[in-house]
Amino acid sequence: MIKIFLAAVFGVTALGASPALADIKIGTAGPLSNAEALFGNTWQNGMQLAVNEANAAGGINGQKLVLVRQDDQGDPKQGTLLAQKFCDDDGVLAVIANFNSGVTIPSSDVYNRCGLPQVTNSSNPKVTQAGYDNLFRPIANDFMQGGAPAAYALKTLGAKKAAIVQDKQAFGDGVATVFRQTFEKGGGQVTSYSGVAATDVDFSAVITRIKTENPDVVYYGGTMPGVGLFLKQLRELGVKSTFFAADPAFLPDLITTAGPANAAGAIISFQAPPYDSSPKLMQFKTDYKKAFNDDPGPYSAYGYNEAAIIIAAMKRAGTSVTRESIVKELHNTKFDGLMGPVEFDDKGELKSPSLFLYKVKGNDFTLEWPKS
Amino acid sequence: MLPSRTRRSLQRIKPVVTSFLIQQLVNALTIGAIYALIALGYTMVYGVLRLINFAHSEMFMVGGHVAFFLFAASASLSGSALGVLVTLGVFAATFVVVGLLGVGIEEAAYRPLRRASRLAPMLSALGVAIVLQNAVMLFVSRRPLPFPAFLPPISFSVVGAVVTLDQIFIVVFAVALMVTLAWFVNGTTLGVKIRAVSENPRTAQLLGIDVNTPIRLIFFIGPGLGALAGILYASYYGIVVFSMGFVVGLKAFIAAILGGIGSISGAMLGGFVLGVLETFGAGLLPKLTNGVIGSEYRDIFAFSVLVLVLIFRPAGFLGEVVTEEGMVYKRDF
Amino acid sequence: MTSEATSRAVSIDPGGKIHWLGRVRAAAVIVAMLVALVYFVPSLPTYYVRIIDMVLIYLLLATGLNMVVGYAGLLDLGFIAFYAIGAYSYALLASGQFDIHLPFGPILVVGGGLAGMAGVLLGIPVLRLRGDYLAIVTLGFGEIIRLLMNNLVSVTNGPQGISRIDQPFLFGFPLKTPRDFFFILLPIAIFAVTLAWRLECSILGLGWAAIREDQDAARGIGINTTLAKLLAFGLSATLGGFAGVIFAAFQRFVDPVSFSFWESLTIVLIIVIGGVGNLVGVVVGAAVLIVVPELLREYSEYRMLLYGCALVAIILVRPGGIVGRHHNPAWIMQKLGWR
Repeated sequence: MIKIFLAAVFGVTALGASPALADIKIGTAGPLSNAEALFGNTWQNGMQLAVNEANAAGGINGQKLVLVRQDDQGDPKQGTLLAQKFCDDDGVLAVIANFNSGVTIPSSDVYNRCGLPQVTNSSNPKVTQAGYDNLFRPIANDFMQGGAPAAYALKTLGAKKAAIVQDKQAFGDGVATVFRQTFEKGGGQVTSYSGVAATDVDFSAVITRIKTENPDVVYYGGTMPGVGLFLKQLRELGVKSTFFAADPAFLPDLITTAGPANAAGAIISFQAPPYDSSPKLMQFKTDYKKAFNDDPGPYSAYGYNEAAIIIAAMKRAGTSVTRESIVKELHNTKFDGLMGPVEFDDKGELKSPSLFLYKVKGNDFTLEWPKS
Repeated sequence: MLPSRTRRSLQRIKPVVTSFLIQQLVNALTIGAIYALIALGYTMVYGVLRLINFAHSEMFMVGGHVAFFLFAASASLSGSALGVLVTLGVFAATFVVVGLLGVGIEEAAYRPLRRASRLAPMLSALGVAIVLQNAVMLFVSRRPLPFPAFLPPISFSVVGAVVTLDQIFIVVFAVALMVTLAWFVNGTTLGVKIRAVSENPRTAQLLGIDVNTPIRLIFFIGPGLGALAGILYASYYGIVVFSMGFVVGLKAFIAAILGGIGSISGAMLGGFVLGVLETFGAGLLPKLTNGVIGSEYRDIFAFSVLVLVLIFRPAGFLGEVVTEEGMVYKRDF
Repeated sequence: MTSEATSRAVSIDPGGKIHWLGRVRAAAVIVAMLVALVYFVPSLPTYYVRIIDMVLIYLLLATGLNMVVGYAGLLDLGFIAFYAIGAYSYALLASGQFDIHLPFGPILVVGGGLAGMAGVLLGIPVLRLRGDYLAIVTLGFGEIIRLLMNNLVSVTNGPQGISRIDQPFLFGFPLKTPRDFFFILLPIAIFAVTLAWRLECSILGLGWAAIREDQDAARGIGINTTLAKLLAFGLSATLGGFAGVIFAAFQRFVDPVSFSFWESLTIVLIIVIGGVGNLVGVVVGAAVLIVVPELLREYSEYRMLLYGCALVAIILVRPGGIVGRHHNPAWIMQKLGWR
């Protein structure tokens, strides 16, 4: 039995042996086949766009860039296996991983051991806690995503009472906790803090209860399709409070799921400026649509940005493009990315993260704050 | 006699409490009806084959998608809102399509395993579920598709609670379907054959009943009912998405067990009881305990009740303890 | 039943002669294979070593579940709960969560013990349940444990999980890389499988087999079904707990995501695909179910679709499991010459 197994392992080694290196590989791992498949897929599409553009412009020192897309199913076990796989592959010089914080944290241990530069899309503050030299996070973390809407609600809307609902997953729980802390610290009262399941479709029980509390503001920490369904039922059951949600809701599906009438006025946080606010972003949107026949997903711009950061670092590394040189150059990153200025502090966090609040108007999102 | 101030505030509270309770009850019955419909499919298959059909939840999901495309096609053909005939047509067509899919799956993935252990068909069903879910995700759509509401958004106010036409339709339709099914299984020849086969397949064969026909019929009706439940669900919540099957299916299976697996009336009862348990757990528990036990304990509450019920009634509410080869089930068809 | 009993027991000549040469040969082959493993595996790329580590962890889990499902015939769909208890034991007792930092060895014992107790506690109320009702209650129990881990935020940190768990040390040696873990997982796995095999051949194992075939008849001939069932739950849960502790030490991060109903089903799948009740099957099943999804990695998003097809295909082709019923450890020993 063991012999057969070892033979199989041998066979796999032979199959998996990579040819002589002419391509530079960037690995990426995200949820491609579970409930978050839409997010993972569109996120990696954004990266693909950046890679295609770089290749069209001649690649890196004439070498072609290849994006290796892998599925971690949001499972830490698979995330670490993939991390080891990328580590062992000498052709992989950088990774964009992972999407879920719960997968990034254990994987970052593996990436750190083998020195692979890791650019992540996970927003939980704990991700950078270890202070790994090779880990970079070019997006705002939960403190901003949860804090900014709360501050806006308190200051601009003058809200006094808030009801908070979260989907008991790492992201939803993270942003909702920060919202609660910020709101309470600013003098507001949280009337209820309810948990639902991310797979829930029927929120009527929780909403019926929220209705009796009469809050000024309702915050939903969670992902699609939960957000859309919740918003729809919130309005159908007659709750008129202002609705806030985080960036997984920044896609047209929110409006189609909830219905334009129900979605109107909802405020969603997102990290990129409006698509029509700069030629770069407009170009991105058109290019994405041309390449993938669809509107960009909520994380496509993030993915594009992350890939662009790595490509820029590779270019700056000159003739010696290795894992170490890329890490070094990533620390020196200082450019104007798709979503704003990119510069990292010594913990790998973004020096000046930006967050925007968008309001749903009709079938689209319009910028609500900060009004430039 | 209470002071007038207290009396007045009590008078103000009572309708609020009543409307709250009635609203929750309406929510519970609606979701319960959907669970009950799906549970029927589980219970029918189990009653005959002792098979936990994990693929059933995906029939529900596929049914929703099939109906979505049929509605979209008929909308583009007729160019206007959906008439009653069109809606009924879509219902019927979806039932048939998914029913045939169910029969096909039975032939391909379960029939060869009939002689094998109890676990083999169950895990084959699991494999089929994975295939169906991923196939829809990859080849149909990753994103949630907006499902049309085929009923006008009329709502009634009952003592302050909002009851929509949708909700009434779902409950009435589900009960009607179940009554029809019960009549079919108890009152027709085919139904008798189904009951015979579920009672004892070998004896039924000795009596000249071809075992395969009733089984095929069950795999036609069961998934078909699941598909109809999928349409109701999709229309009520407004979306259909590839991942919607698994969790709902699991809950419906629990409803079937709660009611006594193998029993049609048990599935009905179990579905409604589970709907009530969930709504109570999510809506009332937090209010009663002032937030100490939050709505996130809903599933723990439902599962705990399930465990308690089964400890004291090992065969579910309407189940009958009939031991045969260590298996326990009640058959009423 | 009789032929099974014969093929299970180590065969002895009617004259009671023990064939020493055969036994030495068998032992030599086994030792040689072990030495080859220990020498050869660490030189593989770390990715493969990591895969082998996961196979061994799932082998531990499946060996435990096999006692309950395969031997005693009790379908447990919530086995992952014991894995979770073990994992969270290590996470809570060796991290910054409560600032307790116990060493690895004692936590292994504590985690296994806690899980074992939980197993017995689960077993007591379900003694009366049969068949799929038992399956559902165990499923419920598994989900309750996972949801509790997710909800008791002050204890377990809820969905954010417990991170920066201490690095385990064994006899002063740090366990850091997958290679280090291979060296402790292999002996633990061998121990677990041997333990399971001895149990299968023991009176307890025969009692379990009787319960599996016909619980009432077993009672009728005087077998203490209550004790046997509780032992099945308890012992299997302990193995699950061990696996959990090692997993937490390996990943150094636990969150409720890793302990879903889906994982419970995966372990049941391992047993069924390998061959229910058969330890050799359990080994094969664990290898297949961990390695196949990794082999399919090049198909990225189509991977799970192919995985589902592969599952159905395997079950249709070998409904009794890849490894036949009689190809159990006794058969292997006989093949090697042990008489």
